[in-house]
This record gives sequence, C-alpha cells and structure tokens, in this order.
Amino acid sequence: MNLAYLDVRHRLGRFIGTSLGVALLFAVVLAMAGIYLGLVDDATILVRSVRTNLWVVQQGTRGPFADMSRLDPSIVARVAAMPSVKRARAFTYQVMQREHAGRSLRFALVGLDFPVDRGEALALTHGRPIVQPHGEIIADASLGLAIGDTLHVAREELRVVGLTKQLLASGGDGLIFATVADAQLLAEDTPSDSIRAERERRTERLRQTDLGRAQPALEALTGDPDFRAPALASSPIAAVLVDVEPARADAVMASLAQWPDTSVFTSAEQEQLLLDGVVDKPRKQLALFAVILVVTSSLLIGAVVYMMTLDKTHDIAVLKLMGASPWRLGGLVLQQALAIGVVGYGIAVAIGVQAFPHFPRRVVLTEDTVMGVFALVLTISTVASILGIVHALRVDPARALEG
Amino acid sequence: MDALRAEHLEKHYGQGDTLVRALQDVSLRVARGSVVALLGPSGAGKSTLVKALGLVSLPNAGRIWFGDQLVVDNGRLLASVQELRRAHLGFVFQRSNLVPFLTARQNVEIACEIGGTSNPKKRALELLDWLEVGHRASSMPDTLSGGEQQRVAIARALANHPKIVLADEPTAALDKVRGRAVMELFRKVAREQDAAVVVVTHDHRTLDIFDELHEMEDGRLSPTALATVAAH
Repeated sequence: MNLAYLDVRHRLGRFIGTSLGVALLFAVVLAMAGIYLGLVDDATILVRSVRTNLWVVQQGTRGPFADMSRLDPSIVARVAAMPSVKRARAFTYQVMQREHAGRSLRFALVGLDFPVDRGEALALTHGRPIVQPHGEIIADASLGLAIGDTLHVAREELRVVGLTKQLLASGGDGLIFATVADAQLLAEDTPSDSIRAERERRTERLRQTDLGRAQPALEALTGDPDFRAPALASSPIAAVLVDVEPARADAVMASLAQWPDTSVFTSAEQEQLLLDGVVDKPRKQLALFAVILVVTSSLLIGAVVYMMTLDKTHDIAVLKLMGASPWRLGGLVLQQALAIGVVGYGIAVAIGVQAFPHFPRRVVLTEDTVMGVFALVLTISTVASILGIVHALRVDPARALEG
Repeated sequence: MDALRAEHLEKHYGQGDTLVRALQDVSLRVARGSVVALLGPSGAGKSTLVKALGLVSLPNAGRIWFGDQLVVDNGRLLASVQELRRAHLGFVFQRSNLVPFLTARQNVEIACEIGGTSNPKKRALELLDWLEVGHRASSMPDTLSGGEQQRVAIARALANHPKIVLADEPTAALDKVRGRAVMELFRKVAREQDAAVVVVTHDHRTLDIFDELHEMEDGRLSPTALATVAAH
C-alpha cells in the first residue's frame, strides 16, 4: 500500500495547489535555462550558419561581431590566392533600424559575397537563395516579413526571396542577408548633399595623386558609385570568410597570422569571442537568477513537505506503534516531496511549451535541458524532503497515546 | 500461560525535589485469553504502565516478558522494538486514531502489511467482518460513528495476531451503550483470539466484563476484588 499516494489523493486540492506554485517556480527556472541557451545560440548561430573555417578581420580587432572590423575588399583576392584556400568570401555586418510598413524594424544586415556566396548554406524554411546581384534579400521570419515583401531602404527596393527561422544576431535582432554590394549601399546610405560633397572630395583627392595628374579623364569616373580607382578608398568589408582544406587549416592560419594588416580566427574562436564578449554578462546574470530560483524552489518544497509531515505527526506515531520501519516512514515523506517536484515540473514543462514561443527573446527548450532540469528537480525534491524525514523519524510513538 | 509478565517496574521522571515516581515496584501477570482492567484516578500511573508494557516509554528498572521471551531487562530493551511490536503487540487508543487518509479496510490492511501478513487485504476484511463493521470497509474514518471507529481500531490492533492487546481508555469518547459494546469486544478478542488484553479504564459500569481488576494509585499497583470496585 502506497501511503504517500493515498495521502495525496485524500488532500488532492492542497497537493495540486502546492504543485502549481512549485510549477510556476520551475517554469521560471526552465525559462532562465532556455533564455540562456537561446542567448548562446543566438550569439553563435550566425557564425555556424555561414559555414567557414577561418575569419580574417582587421588587424588587432576582435571583429566583426564583438568588435568593429574594416578591411579593404582587395584582401579577399589576396586570401583566395593562397595555397590550400578553396574559397574566400567578403563578409559585412551591421545592425540597422529602419521604418517599414509603419513600424520600426531593427535587424542585423549581413552581406554575402555574391555570386560566390548566395546563401545556399543557410537553412531556408521558405523561398530560395539570392540569384540576382542586386535587390534580393533573405530575411528571418522573426522580423515579420514574408516572401515577396519589399523593403524600402536607402532609396533601394529589396525584395524578400527567402526566409530563415530563428536566425538571430547576438542582440536578439533578426538577420537579413543581402549581397555585399547591397549591404554596402545600405550602410552608406547618405543624403544627396553628402554624396555630392564626397564626390568633390574624391575628385580633389584624385587630383593630388600621380594617377589623377597623369590621367585627368579619371575625374569623370569618380561620380560613378561603382567605380573603384586603385588608389582610392573602397567601401570596406568587415571580414573575409576563408574555406580551406581541413588538413591544411592550421598551415593557412599560420600564414594569415603573419600578415601585418589582418588578424585571423577559427570559427570556434569566433564563437568564443562572441560568448566571452557579447553575452558574457547576460548569461552570468541569468545563471545567477537560475541559482536563486533553484534555492527558492528547494526552500519552498522543503517548507511544504515539512508542514505536510507536521500535519501527519500523529499518524506517523500510530504507524510507529504498529511497527512501521523508518524506511516506510521516510519513504512516505520522500515520495510526497518527489511527487510535488515531478508533478510541478510536468506542469512547468507544459506551461513552457505553451508560453515560451510567445516570449520576446528566444527560449531554447531542448530535450537535454528538459532532462537536465528534471534531474535537478529530483535532487531538489530529495534534499527538500530531508527536514521532513528527520521529523518523521524523530516522532515519539507515545504521541499516538495522547488524546 | 502468561502472555505478559512484568516484574518490579520502576519509572521516574525528573530528579531531586521534582522527582516523580510514576511506577513503583509494579508487577503484573496477564494470562492468555484474559481481560484485565487497570483502574485508578488520573495521575495514578495507568498510562505510564501501558506505555512501559507497550515499549513506548521504557521503565527505568524491572523486567518484562512477552510469553517466554524476556524483552526488557533492568530498563534495557533486548530486541528490536519494531520487531517486538509487530510480533506481539496491538494498541487501541483513547480516540480511534485511525489514519484519516485511509479507508477502514486500509487502516487495518496497513497494519497487516507492516506485520508481514501474507494477504493483508483478505485479513483486513476478515477482521472487519468479525468485528461487524465489514459493511463500512470502504468508508473513510470521518464518516464512521465513534463506535465503528473503535471497532476498526480494534481490528487494526488485531491485524498481526498479537498475543498482547493494550488499550488506553478506549471508551472515553463513547456513550454508555457503545462503550459497553466495545468492552465486550475486548472480551471477545481475548476469548476467541487467545490474546491477553489490558485495558485502562475509568468506566466502572463495564467492570463485570473483566477477568481481573488492578487498581493503581501513586504509581503502585494492587489487585482489587471485583465486588470492591463495583461498590464504588
């Protein structure tokens, strides 16, 4: 006969009420764990999604995410020319906020090196990769854009041709992928007066160079936004993504590390930079909250179980007089603590499954998280039952003889 | 043959000026199949004696035998108290003390289970039928009358075929008719279950049921003639 079950059934209302209270606490613990994982995943998903071996960035920086990095686009060709390099791609990254359809749209814009990189490596849920050098974007569904939607930015029309799911920047903003050229257009979205002033400055700079003096006809080209005179500054890129033969990765990295104008990181190092820099404090804070909640849950279950045991003091004394073993009495308390924990956790998971998708930040509820927190719940419940068990074992059977 | 024997039991509380001698050189023999009453005013030591005999509160000195087995020697327990309770003792309390979250049957069944009875459910139902409360087997304690609760409590006390049943004022919460019915059950238990039944009682209206009466006063026990007590 299971005394714990029969007692719970007898006081079902109180048991359910207690379990609900515990469930809310566990739901918050789950949310904390899920937000933490979401934070880590969001921070690193872009690095993983672009699927490359090495990141070449501006020398001395930890770019392009944790730090600003500006590289001349010519570096792409320099890297591509290295032995064992299979592919080198330009990469740009910037966080932007623009008006769209009457609302403020905040996103991280990633430039892909079209046509080398069309976004085929991205996990598209709808649509297709980019096939035109201009005017096409892949957007994350979290931005509320649909296939065919047009984004009007910087006097350009960018049409959504592909959608991703939960592809977010470390700050939680949805990602938009465009060609590097489009990304740079957007980044350099400047008023007409500024463009005219810059055009004049370019012409002036050209005149001060040997090239400009030798070839005055070049001045006519400075007005063309696509013109890149070798001696003039081009729009910078943030990084160069380098795909290498795996066996030669270390050698290529060692060579790149010798270059005076660049720094190089592996993808794993890039992920670690993001975790250490961008999400380090938020995740520590979440971990601290989670610890506080775990302690609170333990104390709550402990107090509830202890009170439930106190209520049964007389019954425990009677059972002792019958010769009930300490195992049976301790088991009664332990099973009730575990029942509160398990039922509370079951409700917490159900709450999480229903509620977490509506949270403003992504909450990642993996099977490992659910099982891990479940193991924690069992531990909490067991520890919380100790006080009740000690009380049960100390009950004087003589109390059964009291009126 | 004696089911229960106690010799020279002493129980003290406190020390010095506050010393209370709850039991003083108390000796008692209870034969199988007999019902013995412990009488006396409040504070005389009746409950203390029952607690000592039930191994709930051990005496400071003296010896106790369950059948042939010496279980307490000079205030020291000689075997596992749980084992001894399971094997020899049944308790009936002033109030029924039924576990409130168990049905009548489950209250008896749990005692059978603790005692290691092979088919606890069957045994529980048999006992409830024998005590004429089988029809309330599925009822929760708070739905039973006082008399029914005590019958279930007696069934629980008998779950393990105990040779000694200790009852501490079992009719205190019952009216005259129900009180007498419960006392008659104790005689039935003694006769038909071959158990020694020791009952602490203040109820002088039911003393004709008992085989022996013992009066306690100031921690001392003395046999009392039935006629003497009846005349009180």
